[in-house]
Order: sequence, then C-alpha cells, then structure tokens
Amino acid sequence: MDWRRVLRIARWEATSGAVDLDRKTVVAIAAIVVALIPVTAFLASGVSTDSGLYRAGVSQDSPYTPAITSSDVFVLGPADGEALRRGEVDLMVTDTVEARSTDKGRAALQAFRDVVRSYNARLMSRESNESAAFPVRVNLLYMERDLRAVVGGGGAADGTGPGGDGGENATSPDGEGEGGENATPSDGEGDRGALDGALGGEQTGLDTPDAIRPPFPFRSLILAFAFVVPMNFVVQVYASSIMDERIGRKGEMLLVSPASRGEIVAGKTLPYLAATVGTAAVIAAAIGGGPLSVAAMLPVALAFISFSFVAGLLARSFKELTFVMVAVSVFLTTYLFVPAVFADIHPVAAISPVTLVVQDLRGAAVPLGDYVFSTLPLYLASGVLFALGTAVYREEDLFTQKPLHGKAMDALQGQMHGRLSVAKLSVLFIPFVFATELLGIAALFALPRAWALPVLLAFVAVVEELFKSVHVYTAVSRRLFDDSRRTALTLGALSGAGFFVGEKLTLISGIVGLNVRVDLGRAVFASLETPLALLLVAPLALHVVTASISALGARRGPRGYALGLFAAILIHFAYNLSVVSLVG
Amino acid sequence: MDSRLVIASRELRSLGQEKTIVLAIAIQVFIAAFSSFLVVGLVAMYDPSTVAGPGTTLGVAGDASEELLEASDAVDVPARRYPSYRDAVDAFRRGEVDAVLDTERDGPVRVTAVAPDASLRTTRIVVQVRRVLQELERTERVERSGGLANDPLPVPEGTRSSPFFDFTYTILIPLLMFLPVFISGSIMSDSLTEEYERGTLDLLRATPASDRNIVEGKMLAYGSIAVVQAAAWIALLHLNGIAVHRPAAILVLVAALSVAVVVLGGAIALTYRDRRRSQLVYSLSVMLLFGVATAAANPFNAVARLAIGTPSTEVYLALAGYVAASAAALLAARRLLGRRGIG
Repeated sequence: MDWRRVLRIARWEATSGAVDLDRKTVVAIAAIVVALIPVTAFLASGVSTDSGLYRAGVSQDSPYTPAITSSDVFVLGPADGEALRRGEVDLMVTDTVEARSTDKGRAALQAFRDVVRSYNARLMSRESNESAAFPVRVNLLYMERDLRAVVGGGGAADGTGPGGDGGENATSPDGEGEGGENATPSDGEGDRGALDGALGGEQTGLDTPDAIRPPFPFRSLILAFAFVVPMNFVVQVYASSIMDERIGRKGEMLLVSPASRGEIVAGKTLPYLAATVGTAAVIAAAIGGGPLSVAAMLPVALAFISFSFVAGLLARSFKELTFVMVAVSVFLTTYLFVPAVFADIHPVAAISPVTLVVQDLRGAAVPLGDYVFSTLPLYLASGVLFALGTAVYREEDLFTQKPLHGKAMDALQGQMHGRLSVAKLSVLFIPFVFATELLGIAALFALPRAWALPVLLAFVAVVEELFKSVHVYTAVSRRLFDDSRRTALTLGALSGAGFFVGEKLTLISGIVGLNVRVDLGRAVFASLETPLALLLVAPLALHVVTASISALGARRGPRGYALGLFAAILIHFAYNLSVVSLVG
Repeated sequence: MDSRLVIASRELRSLGQEKTIVLAIAIQVFIAAFSSFLVVGLVAMYDPSTVAGPGTTLGVAGDASEELLEASDAVDVPARRYPSYRDAVDAFRRGEVDAVLDTERDGPVRVTAVAPDASLRTTRIVVQVRRVLQELERTERVERSGGLANDPLPVPEGTRSSPFFDFTYTILIPLLMFLPVFISGSIMSDSLTEEYERGTLDLLRATPASDRNIVEGKMLAYGSIAVVQAAAWIALLHLNGIAVHRPAAILVLVAALSVAVVVLGGAIALTYRDRRRSQLVYSLSVMLLFGVATAAANPFNAVARLAIGTPSTEVYLALAGYVAASAAALLAARRLLGRRGIG
C-alpha cells in the first residue's frame, strides 16, 4: 500500500470532499451551536419531568398544606370526602393521607412521601438547634469487594478474587492495608472522575440521611451515550461521503486511477477516523479520563466507522442509509452499555470497553490482558467489515442497484480463496454472533422467564445457524468449488468446525465467566458448560451436522437453502433446550 | 389537492418497497424492549421485594448499634451487630453483610456507612441504608423534640409502588411519541436531497404537480407516518395493560410537532440541497428546536400529564400554542415555496 497515495486521498477528502462548508453553512452551524448553549444551561438547571402529574384534595386544616403547596407535583382538586371515591383526585389529604387503590394512586402516595420529606428537610434547616434538627450525620464510603471467589465457592478466604484481577484496590477509612492488597490512603473520594459528582455516589463530608444520593446505576449508559452521540455526527458525514461516490458514478474517477481499492478506502476513511478519535479524546479529557480512555474508545470508533462504511456501500437510498445509521448507533450503544452493567462480575463487564473507561476514571491500572480482552472483538469485527467492504468497492457493486443479498454475497465471495476460507470466515463471524446474542439478552431480559428463555434459545439458534451458513451458501450456490455433494458436505463440516474452534477460543480466553449469575446469560452460554466428557464432542458434532445440513440444502438453490437452514435451526434449538434442562 | 395525495402515496409506497419503514419500526421496538430492561433494573434497585434473590443485610457497630437495630427492624431490613468496625468490614468483604454502619455519639449521631462500589446492587443497598438512617433520624428527632421549634411532619406509610409507573409515564411514553417525529424530519430531508442529487427532481417537476405540491405531498407523507406510528404505540401499550389517557390530545401534539419538524427538514434540504450538509444542520437544528420547546412549554411533561390522566388548562394551552406555532410555520413555508419554488 502506497501511503503517499493514501495521504493524498485523505487530504482531498478532508478539504473538499467531506462537507462543502461554505461561509453560509458555517455561519448557520455556528449560530445553532451558540444558541444551544444557553438552552442547554437552562435545561440543565432543572427541568421537572413530574410536575402536575397527580391530583390531590387537601382539607383546609390539614397540617400537610404547606408541604403540598410547596411542590408542583400535585394539582389541587376538590377536597370533599367523596372526591376520592369519584376518582376526581388520586390522594385525599387530611390529618392523614388516603390514596386511591389504583396504580396511579399508589404512585401518587409515593410522590407525596417524597414531597413531605423534602419539606421536612427545608423546615429543619431553619431550626436553630442543629443537633436536634439533624441528629444523624452520614459519611458514605464506597469500598470494593470482589465476590467472584465467594460465588464460585472457592478461592482465597480473604475474599479477594483469584489473582486479584485487574489490581483493584480496597480502601478503608483509616488508611490501612488489608490482607496483602494495596490500599490507597484516600477514602475513595479522590479518585472519582468529574462525572461521578454529577451522578451521585460521592459524599463530601457529613450529610443528612435525606441527602444520600444513591449512585446512578447506569453510569455506563451515560458514558456510552457521551461518546457515541458526538461520534455519530462525524460518522454521518462519512457514510454520506461513501454513498455519494455511488451516485452518478462519481467514484469512477478514483477507481480508474492507479490507486488500489485498499488505498482509496484507507484514504477516504483516514480523516474521519482521526476526527472520531479526536472527538473521543476531547470527551475523555472533559470527563477526567486519560490516554487509557482514548485507547479504549479507539476500537469503538473503528467499529462505528466500519459499520458506516458497509452501510454506505449497501444502502440503496438516503432514507435507507439514515435508518441503518440509526440502527448502528443504537446497536453500538447497547453493546457498550449492557456488559458494563454487570460490574459485579468482572469477566462479563470487561466485554465492554466502557468498563476500561470507568477504571481509568477511577485511576486504577489496567493490565494489557484486560485491554486486549475488551477491545479485540471490536478490532476484529472492524477488520472483517473493512475487508468485506473493500472487496465490493468496485464498479459492479458500487454503481448498481443490485439487491442487498447479492452485494453481501459478492463481499463474502471476495474472501473465499479456498476451502479453508470457509472455516476462516466462520471464526471471523464469532464477534458478530456474540454481539447479536448479547443484544438478544438485553431485549428479552425484561420478559417473564417462562417464555423469554425458549425465545432466547430459538434466537441463538437462528443467529448461529445464519452466520455459519451464509458463506457456505455463497460458495455452493455460486459454484465456487465443484458442484458435488461431497464438496458441499466438506464445506459445511469446515464451517461448523471453524465455528466450534472459535467458540472454544473465546471460552479459553474467559469471555464467559463461570460465575455468570444472569439466568438468561447462563442459558445462552450453557452449551459451553456441559460436563467435561461431552465438552468437546457434542458441540462439535452439533455445529458440523447443522452446517452440513444447510450446505446440502444450498445445493438446491435458495428454497432448498431455506429448508436446510430451517432444519438446522430446529436441531440446534432442540440441542440448546436439552442442554439447558440438563444443566438446570 | 390531487397531486399532493399522489406524491404522498408514492413516497409511502417507496418506503414500503425499500423496507426502510420495517427497519424504523424494528429500531423503535428494540428501544422499547431495551427500556423495559432498564426499567426492570430500576425496579430491582428501588424495591428489592420485587426481585427474587438475597435482600440487603446490614452490619452495625458502634455507640448507637441498639438504636440502629431497632430502626432496621422498623423498616424490615435485616441487620447484624458486630463488636467493632473492623469486624463489620471483614464481614462485608466476605459477603455476609451488604453494607456497614458504624456509629459514634458526638452531639448528633455520626454514622460512617460503607457500601459496595460499582455493583449493580449498590443502588439498592444504598437505598436501604438510607431508609434505615431516615428511620433513625425520625426516632432521634422525637427524642430531642424539646429542642425543636417546629415538629417535622409525619411521613405517611408507603405502599409498594414501583418506579415503573413513574418511569413509564414521564420518560417511556414521551420518548415513544417523539422518536417517530425525529425520524420523520430526517427522512423528509433525505427525500428532498435525494431528488436533487440523483437528478430525479427535474422529472418530478415536469409533471403537472407544482413545486409547492411536490414539497407538500412529501410533508404530508412523512408527517402522517409519525402520527400513525405514535397511534400504533398507544394501541400497543393499551394491549400491554398500560393505560394511555387522552390519546386524541396526545396525537394532536405529535401531529403539531411532526408538522414543525418536517417543515424544518424540508427547509434545510431545500437550502443546502446535498445530503451531508442537510443532515448535519438538521441534527443540530432539531436539537435546538426541542431544547427551546422544552424550555418554553415542556412537551415531554405535557405528554406525561395527558397520558397519566392529569391534564389541566395549562397543558391544553401549551397544546394550543404548539398547534398555532406549527400552523404558522407551515403557512410561512407554503408562502415561501409559492414564491421561490424549488429549482
């Protein structure tokens, strides 16, 4: 790859290709951004989501009158005795409080309690005798404890995890070390980033019980949004730029030049990659992170860009591109957020690079192994997507309105140089399978377990069978190798074997911690926890058999493929069900 | 009138053909499902009795252990007494207790509370700690009431109410109502810039439809699907047992906002005529628009109050304001289109 060419294309892209920012546009954008500042400040100072939600009837002599009138949560309604029964109010406040026995009434009662509490706090703050008004003062500290050893039933007796993964420090207020770990002399407050202050979880000095703010549990969601949303703007422009090449054959000029496809793609991508990493760096600095946060977000930027690259190549219209980009943003945010929620269970939390950012904000050192573990799936996925996309960066696919699956198969075909490529592709698809299954867990988590579990198992079967068979279908239906049944079976077996190897590799590297508490997650990965004797044979057999079935079906064209795939999915689903019922 | 309807139906049909609307719906469904994931998590945080699993156990130590044990008992949180802070912390590390409360009487009762860091259960545990300490505060205030000029109001007994209710009406429903609106503006902008960039606009202008009809037809199409999607969500929520009151008023609000947003998207597309700049300016402008709308007459709160069934005159006034503003924007846009055209 000639880097001078790449840089030249990058320079063109950045200056004239990216966005035609004439003066009018720049002024407009600047004006909007400037106008956003006071609006954001105004909103940040407090927008009430719950003003005027409930109706209360307050009798004239009620002691609660000043409390209710001081808050805007309640709208005043008729105060006669029957108003509650007639449903005109949700609460009747006299000397006591009576609520309607509906969901809304109960919620109104809860809101009322909060209103009374904050009124009391204000009342007490006007008292002269402080120790009578606020007789309890709290200093809330957060201390780390690693429960993996406890849950697993083994491990060190002092409760530290095997090897003290990640070098987490425990702190204590009197600053002493405990049981051989390092203790930082601070009480844990100093190493919190700026973000934590806004999200609660930090106590400065002594406070009243009312003032305890539990930490916002979804700090990782905020972090995920904080990084993804600004990146989104840059990536939108990139996707548009890629798509633009396809309109009116504008991209033909570059294609006929001496620059290779790889150089063109690299050149066009470089400025946007720099911009997204730059954005990530700015945000990281704003929240108090360091180089580790930026390094953790680099694979995220790459993943975002690679998805947008493929989206720009395949979308058939601007509308389609918009939706696909929204879907990609949502997907990436979810991927970043869901694992990080399971902060108790390090192996699961470590899947998301946001956990690295969280650790960076805390000032903890992160071993290289952890970094690789968190980021490798994203790096691999980006690489695969770029490879697939670059393969179809050519005239037949750029300037035609071929159906999506045609272009997708072109991309896969570009990667198949021999029979072993089938196995290689199966391995390379593992990060995608994994991420999709993770999303499935997130989406189905809330549903009643009774049928969420079978639905999830079916989903897993569908996803895995699809990813195992698409490239085989491409190879067989396009007759990339010879047309015999034996070849089809060989390809199927290779695909299944490759998938199995990939799965085992992830198990060995510990992606699935053996103490996964989440029932559904346990079910998904249950096939990897079967008794040792079956550990190797059964899953391998499953993958090989199912992939072969869909391969045989593929020989008969799309309908045969659909039938074969369906059969494979059924078998896989049955297997999952039996494993889950065996393991419990 | 005819040509606008023709153009609108053509736009809608192309959405169906390209299956892009399917994608839009899939995204919204996913976001709704994902919100349920969040909500279940939230419920587990604040109301541990809804979640099967170990409750929170406290470890208490120090001068006011006796009172703390009484307070925990009063709010139904199991607690264990330890002879010293160090013992309690050891138990905490071993997972025998979930939080430690160490007390010292020094005028007021000074409590050092220790909770686990960065755990999914941290919030739940801290909420329980807060409940116990609030009860302690209450009993201590009663003890010391001689020193108080005003007595605090008694906080009434709570019933088991999930924050799900609150979250559903204040956040989930407004979000579901406004997401289609955002998307509509974006595809309105896209539909115009695509005509420019692919050169199909000239073909369209060669038809009997006037310039104004073309744009209005598109606005009609994309404005109406936002309302249809919102209506579908309301129906779906009803099926799931979540009552949405005043659906008509909510749909009027959604319609008003979608008119404003498609006018914005269309205006931007007509000004810049290429996708990249239009999308960039649209994203920023729509944020500003919603920011200003929220600051002026919070539409999220309006939807929440209508949906929960506590509307008031001020909500209806705000609604009227939105309708008026959107109508004005639409009329201004039509006049401008009539004069300038889209060439």
